Amino acid sequence: MRLEVDARVRRRAGFTLEAAFSCETDALALVGPSGCGKSTLLDSVAGIEPGARVVLDGVDCSGLPLHGRGFGYVTQDALLFPHLTVRANLTYSPSAGPIEAAARALGIESLLDRMPRNLSGGERRRVALARAVVSRPRLLLLDEPFGGLDEKRRREAMSLLDHVRQTFRIPMILVSHVADEVIGLSDHAIRLDAGRIVERGSTVAVLRASETHIDNYFEGEVAGRERVRVDGVDLHAVLPEGTAGRVRLACYAHDILLARTAPEAISARNVFPIRVARMEALEDLVIVELERPRLRVLVTEDAARSLDLRPGTEAYAVIKATSIEHLGAA
Amino acid sequence: MDCISLSILVGLAATLFSLPPAVAIAWFLERTKSRARGFVQTLVMLPLVLPPVVIGYLLLRAFSPRGALGRALAWLGAPVAFHWLGAVTAAAVVGLPLFVMMIGQAMKAVDPRFEIVSRSLGRAPWATFWRVTFPLCWPGILAGAAISFARGLGEFGATIVLAGRIPGETETIPLRIYAELDAPGGEGRVAGLVAVSVLLCVACVVVSRVLEAWYHRRLELER
Repeated sequence: MRLEVDARVRRRAGFTLEAAFSCETDALALVGPSGCGKSTLLDSVAGIEPGARVVLDGVDCSGLPLHGRGFGYVTQDALLFPHLTVRANLTYSPSAGPIEAAARALGIESLLDRMPRNLSGGERRRVALARAVVSRPRLLLLDEPFGGLDEKRRREAMSLLDHVRQTFRIPMILVSHVADEVIGLSDHAIRLDAGRIVERGSTVAVLRASETHIDNYFEGEVAGRERVRVDGVDLHAVLPEGTAGRVRLACYAHDILLARTAPEAISARNVFPIRVARMEALEDLVIVELERPRLRVLVTEDAARSLDLRPGTEAYAVIKATSIEHLGAA
Repeated sequence: MDCISLSILVGLAATLFSLPPAVAIAWFLERTKSRARGFVQTLVMLPLVLPPVVIGYLLLRAFSPRGALGRALAWLGAPVAFHWLGAVTAAAVVGLPLFVMMIGQAMKAVDPRFEIVSRSLGRAPWATFWRVTFPLCWPGILAGAAISFARGLGEFGATIVLAGRIPGETETIPLRIYAELDAPGGEGRVAGLVAVSVLLCVACVVVSRVLEAWYHRRLELER
């Protein structure tokens, strides 16, 4: 998407948002501390806050009301309509398409006839995301969609969002006050502070090493007991009994080691050859992106230098089976 | 028609009659940022503080059979002054502030972000009201209707000025009690009518409280 925004919001309490930017990306993240204006900027794009100039792919949406913009809006509180079943929530939009694909992608097929009050917090968020996806939005606006979830559920939710992004190809803007949430899901980021844009660029360039906790989300096919095939590589992972078919997995970038020669007699179950696709500096750390499987590895600058890592370098990746988390069926 | 049946009829008609404007005004006050809100709020709350006789007088001026509006309504077969519709109008106007306040509270309890989500999904404000706001706050509206009905039952000052006291036509319970107070041997009938009034009003308040409690419990559960 190509997005141009010029938002100015003045609040009685003295807070002022003045943010103008344009970018060309399919996944934009708005980051910054609480109260910096991220949600207000998102609301301006949505049309909830009036007066912002918003141009999406050359179409000026500034004069369109909220219901005429076709922007899906998902918040931390799922805000499912409490008087409607999950199915009725999914088909609520007049532009709603078939619900089956989204329900399958988000694993809510068995919940369709339930009322929202009978769902868990995680299930509600999945339904809210599915509802937005089914409405076929031109742009998906996500306001802290993973706030308040514990670590495991947050990883599950992020992996699902990544899955949805890959499956439905909907451009999105993600708001998060936790920078580590956005790196796996966005390629462009804007950092706000006190209502002003203070940094913008690629997500990695905008993030700070001190707040970065990079995660990899990927999918694979179960190829045997505790083995998953990912991009042609068999990985050992701890899988629940009876897991089969396609699964979603996650692994932190700092849990992956790189070695120039194949290590032997090592407890880690996954040692496989890799090729470095690209590298990006993150203060005194380096994010190394591997070709197959596409994983990000976080190493220190010193380690990258001593291993002489550069794009095209062939090396070995080492991952403990317990560092690969199974997040559910894909 | 006896005064008890007439009172119930007038109360019900007044409640039904004031329901659409009460909902519209409450929505305007609770869900818009219009600068006219202060003015509208003051206007709507006036019947709460004005002496009912003054309200009756103003209504009589507005609906006078000699005025254009009164003549037009008489021509349409619905004269207001000195007609049972006058009692309905008086009860509706006097009960409106309470009705608006109760509906406003019911709407306040509904998270406005539901409406934002509805609109982001492509539903216009009108459709959003019918599909989200109303289904979520109708028990609160019903609770307000019960109170408005009870207020209508007790209306006296504006009614006697606008509708007069015509037995069987505009003589509601309070007007009949007033008449019986001066009638020889009317104490027994007054006591009976007072008991009926109290019973009806207590029933309305109980229904309203039960509905409100159920409504808030329902919203809490669904949060």
